[in-house]
Amino acid sequence: MKDLQNFKYTLLGFISLMATSVFGMHKIEPCGHTHNKFSPLEIKCDLCGCTTTSGSFGFGTLSNANFVGLRYINQTFESKNGIYSNSPVSKETINTYQLWAQIPVKKVFMLSVNLPYQDLNREFQGKSQQLNGLGDASIVGWYKHVFYKKKTENKDKTIDYNTTKVATGHSLQFGLGAKLPTGTFEQELSNNVNPGFQVGTGSLDAMLSLGYNYGSNKFGINTLATYYFKGENKNNYQFGNQLSLSTKAFTVFKTSKMNIMPFLGFSHDTFKEITQYNETLKDTNGTLTTGTIGSEFVVKQFIFGANYALPLSQDLFGGNVTSKSRFSVYVNLAL
Amino acid sequence: MKQLKYTLVLLLCAIISSCSSDNDATTENLTGQKGSIALKFDNGVGDQNFAFNTTYQKSNNESFQLTTDLKYIISNVRFKDQNGNEFAVPEGNNMFIIDQDDANNAGEIFLNLDNINAANYTEITFGIGVDQDKYTQGATGQGNFLTLAQDKGMFWSWASGYKFVRLDGIYTDATTTNGALAVHMGSVGTSLDNYKEVTLTLPNTVLVRTNKSPEIHIKADILKIFDGETSVNFADGYNQVHTDATETPIIAVNMQNMFTVHHVHND
Repeated sequence: MKDLQNFKYTLLGFISLMATSVFGMHKIEPCGHTHNKFSPLEIKCDLCGCTTTSGSFGFGTLSNANFVGLRYINQTFESKNGIYSNSPVSKETINTYQLWAQIPVKKVFMLSVNLPYQDLNREFQGKSQQLNGLGDASIVGWYKHVFYKKKTENKDKTIDYNTTKVATGHSLQFGLGAKLPTGTFEQELSNNVNPGFQVGTGSLDAMLSLGYNYGSNKFGINTLATYYFKGENKNNYQFGNQLSLSTKAFTVFKTSKMNIMPFLGFSHDTFKEITQYNETLKDTNGTLTTGTIGSEFVVKQFIFGANYALPLSQDLFGGNVTSKSRFSVYVNLAL
Repeated sequence: MKQLKYTLVLLLCAIISSCSSDNDATTENLTGQKGSIALKFDNGVGDQNFAFNTTYQKSNNESFQLTTDLKYIISNVRFKDQNGNEFAVPEGNNMFIIDQDDANNAGEIFLNLDNINAANYTEITFGIGVDQDKYTQGATGQGNFLTLAQDKGMFWSWASGYKFVRLDGIYTDATTTNGALAVHMGSVGTSLDNYKEVTLTLPNTVLVRTNKSPEIHIKADILKIFDGETSVNFADGYNQVHTDATETPIIAVNMQNMFTVHHVHND
């Protein structure tokens, strides 16, 4: 128990250290262009709202264990720069480095926290532009309801209250969270084909989640539906509300050294139109369906994970933005 | 448990504040405030971005490419706000030549309009060419624009006046390959009146303020000059359009319908 206490303090220290160092590093380089409307070399940065929210990446591990860890996410997009079918295309790469954790508060209550650092790159007509800084942190409170097997009666019709409850493996979880505008949003950058080329949305968003999980020692299923209520940022710019559905099915192979948990998953995101000054902007809604393949490796207290997601169908920003692929790797320490 | 309560209360606050109503932009006092609007002209052919020396198909199995000139005159730009009030861009700076040679590497030609009254605009109107009132003001009435038009090859002579549009290139039809194509349409002095106006509804309100520089992205479909309200054929003489009293009004009406507002940006 004392060890655990110590660990908690160490963890707190680690988190605050990370936070201060990330804030310290916080540096925005808005693509190095000057806002000269008559410049024949005018190039602006682009991106999409789906990139700054990581809902479909999941909030935790397959086994729903409590943990603290680091996650790296790499996403690539292609955006058409112009209004014509043969307008030139730019390529955006978004690297996200996250400190993420699921911390137990009470037996049935947990907190998910996520502190990302964004490193964005845009390639356009042989030129490269960088944008980096602290992204949007999020915090979600979870209530988990575990279903237990019914108590069996003894032969003499008495119930033995001394036996511990046996979980059925089924559980429901309800989440209520917020995404904080810790990342900088620049209006200048949003005036583009891909308005998500930002380290943050500049808005305070609320999120509501409902999840169903089943896990046995052989296989499991995690399903999560999350709705994001997007707030307006100080530029009167408001990303559209988002519904994110995801499901993952995994199996468990046990070896003497580790548990290997390969999984297959699907996610579907629906984005509503962006609004600015209370008017919706045309061609800013969209859908994205992806298939995910990956695995977790549980070695003692450590959980290593890797997954690769490929879009199966999509229609983002009137077809002007294309999600190419994304992959993520993480290492977590189970609490 | 206490911790949890605080967390929940905090989250609730976060949600409530994020759902709070927006500031109503219409209540601000805009009297005396001036701003600017940039018009972004983007020439295309159908769904293709325009480029010189590129062959484009038109109706009747004819094709064309522009080799040296794609220019037109825009004038009398004005805006209507959400209350129906019109604001005209101040005279003296309300005649422009949209020249493909002035385009940036994305093919966009910027036209910056300053000293615009702050308002929420919902509609834009502009003329193609120069109206008769302006033309009959004589050489001094044209200001610097006359010199600009002469430099850009958009002026025949004082008797014939301005060329409202100038397309120079080559065309191919059933009998001719790479024949010379020249569409130079104007009002031919005052003998015709080919000045036309276009009114376009803006897809989003354009907010002009001292600290905001909105952009209106205007798409111009060059193909409509030949395949617009009326489809015309090079084989029927539309490979050379200059002063003809039948041909030029048809080109003028076709041009009137080649503009759309693709989108706007509010900074």
